[in-house]
Amino acid sequence: MVEIAVLIKQVPDTSAKIDVRDGIVDLSSVKWITSPYDEFAIEAALQHKESVGGTVTAITLGPESSEKSLKDAKAIGVDNLVRIWNDGWSYMDSNAVQSALSQAVSNIGATVVYCGKSAADTGAGSTGPGVAQRLGWPSLSNIVGIKYESESLEVTQPGPNGQSIIGVNLPALISCDKGMNEPRRANVRGIMMAKKATIEVLADIHSNSTISMVGHSSPPEKPPGKKFEGAENVPDVVKLLRDEANII
Amino acid sequence: MDGYEAVDFYDIESQLTEEEVMIRDMVREWVSEEVIPNIEQACRDGLFPDKWRVELGEMGVLGAPLKGYGCPGLSYIAYGLICQELERGDSGLRSFASVQGSLAMYPIWDFGSEEQKNHYLPKMATGEWVGCFGLTEPDYGSNPGDMITRATDEGDHYLLNGAKMWITNGTIADLAVVWAKLDGVIRGFIVEKGDEGFTAPEMKGKHSLKASVTSELVFQDCKIPKDRILPNVKGLRGPFSCLNNARYGISWGAIGAAQACFHSAKEYALSRIQFDHPIASYQLVQNKLSWMLREITKGQLLALDLGKKKDDGNWIPEHISLAKMNNVDMALEIARIARDIHGANGILDEYCIMRHMANLESVKTYEGTHDIHNLILGRWITGIQSFTREI
Repeated sequence: MVEIAVLIKQVPDTSAKIDVRDGIVDLSSVKWITSPYDEFAIEAALQHKESVGGTVTAITLGPESSEKSLKDAKAIGVDNLVRIWNDGWSYMDSNAVQSALSQAVSNIGATVVYCGKSAADTGAGSTGPGVAQRLGWPSLSNIVGIKYESESLEVTQPGPNGQSIIGVNLPALISCDKGMNEPRRANVRGIMMAKKATIEVLADIHSNSTISMVGHSSPPEKPPGKKFEGAENVPDVVKLLRDEANII
Repeated sequence: MDGYEAVDFYDIESQLTEEEVMIRDMVREWVSEEVIPNIEQACRDGLFPDKWRVELGEMGVLGAPLKGYGCPGLSYIAYGLICQELERGDSGLRSFASVQGSLAMYPIWDFGSEEQKNHYLPKMATGEWVGCFGLTEPDYGSNPGDMITRATDEGDHYLLNGAKMWITNGTIADLAVVWAKLDGVIRGFIVEKGDEGFTAPEMKGKHSLKASVTSELVFQDCKIPKDRILPNVKGLRGPFSCLNNARYGISWGAIGAAQACFHSAKEYALSRIQFDHPIASYQLVQNKLSWMLREITKGQLLALDLGKKKDDGNWIPEHISLAKMNNVDMALEIARIARDIHGANGILDEYCIMRHMANLESVKTYEGTHDIHNLILGRWITGIQSFTREI
């Protein structure tokens, strides 16, 4: 029986409009979702369990509001739910997140960890490799295909000259990319199970940021586009597309 | 998702349970991913994609408020939200679910024998078996009490003779719950596909509910085994109980269609430039949009309160009549005004508007016409029934 962990992160809806107010991103009216790449990780974890047996534990780091993502994972078949949070935490950098997550993975005794290749908000792509480094495990990123064995995995990773097929013994951490699988949908039965699910809260994990966040600002507004009308402008448009926009 | 934002001006969501929100979002996402990209083609082809039947069953939303026999026993508010999201996709889709759950599963669940419940309901909840509901006849629509379909007791079986019309799911159904007079009393019978003397030809040529199967049910000396009568109901109470649940679902479903039209009209008005400015900046258009918002919000509050009444058991059929007629009427008017805002583009199937508008014309008429619901309320107000001349 394999102890399988999947790391999930709650992020603002990818279509949400983000405002900066008083020097900090204002997320008060934003809808939150599970980071889309993490959905491939959840599916990979569930397929791993279905292939060789085991238990899947979803782990997230965040305040109570992030439990929604855990319950969404429960609704599609995850067994156990763990939330890491310490009320003393506010801003956590990548180091702090990786440290806390790796401690939680060790706590549950997982021998394989799945996560999305990057989070939809920060897009850093550092969590998977960082957690693996702290655990001393091999890390395989941007995985688009997988075969499950009881003690090992065979994963497909895109490369500059085609796809690599890589075998890895457990323990290992797999960062999942789009196309790896087709995430399943929840159903009513799963949602009713999720309603009753208990979430273990790990509050005694120690982790500190090594950097501090100074402030947020919006990216500069895009300059207004140029408008051309009439066939006589075609040469100018072609010249601009070639010399200025560099797209032809 | 398809960028759809469901308008919720009075924060209805804050009054929902976590489970209700999760179920709503599950259906909303499915509609965005599976229905919206395919609905126009389904309408052009005039068919209900069988894949949707399978996936509705997999989601577990068929017969949602029923408990036991493979059904989840969700709240009536959750059931309403499911109908809302399905009808945001298409009224034909919601019709499929309404007929399956409220009109075919419900009478078996409430009036059937234990054997009937165990035999039919689990497979209907998964969508493996499709049901339909035969009440309306060619000459008896608003007046089902005078139906002419008859059952006769032939000793070891019943014989059914007559015809039903405007039957959603009829041709694709594995079973039909058919209401017929036995010794002058209306009774429910379960007719199975393949029963001798039973045919269900599809009605073609609809300009409305094009992605829904509508059929006739024809019974010509149709032999029904004795154990297929619903033992626990007699008279119009049987079909009317089913209709109450279906009409309740429609009161929510219409909101979904209205929300879809409002969303499309708002997006269109913000992007359509006339006289150098978005048409959304003009007072006449803002007036239309604000009227839509006002009516949708009132409809949402009505449906939500009715849902609470259904869950508490504190309702009367007139409550449902008012909500059904109001919300469908509201949605149809919103579709018409949305078409106006879309200008000529509003008639194209690139937009959902005209499809919803045509669908809602049917929804206004089926499950009790708008006028009949007015008469139901008129009777409640005055104590005088005005359906017949025998006053």
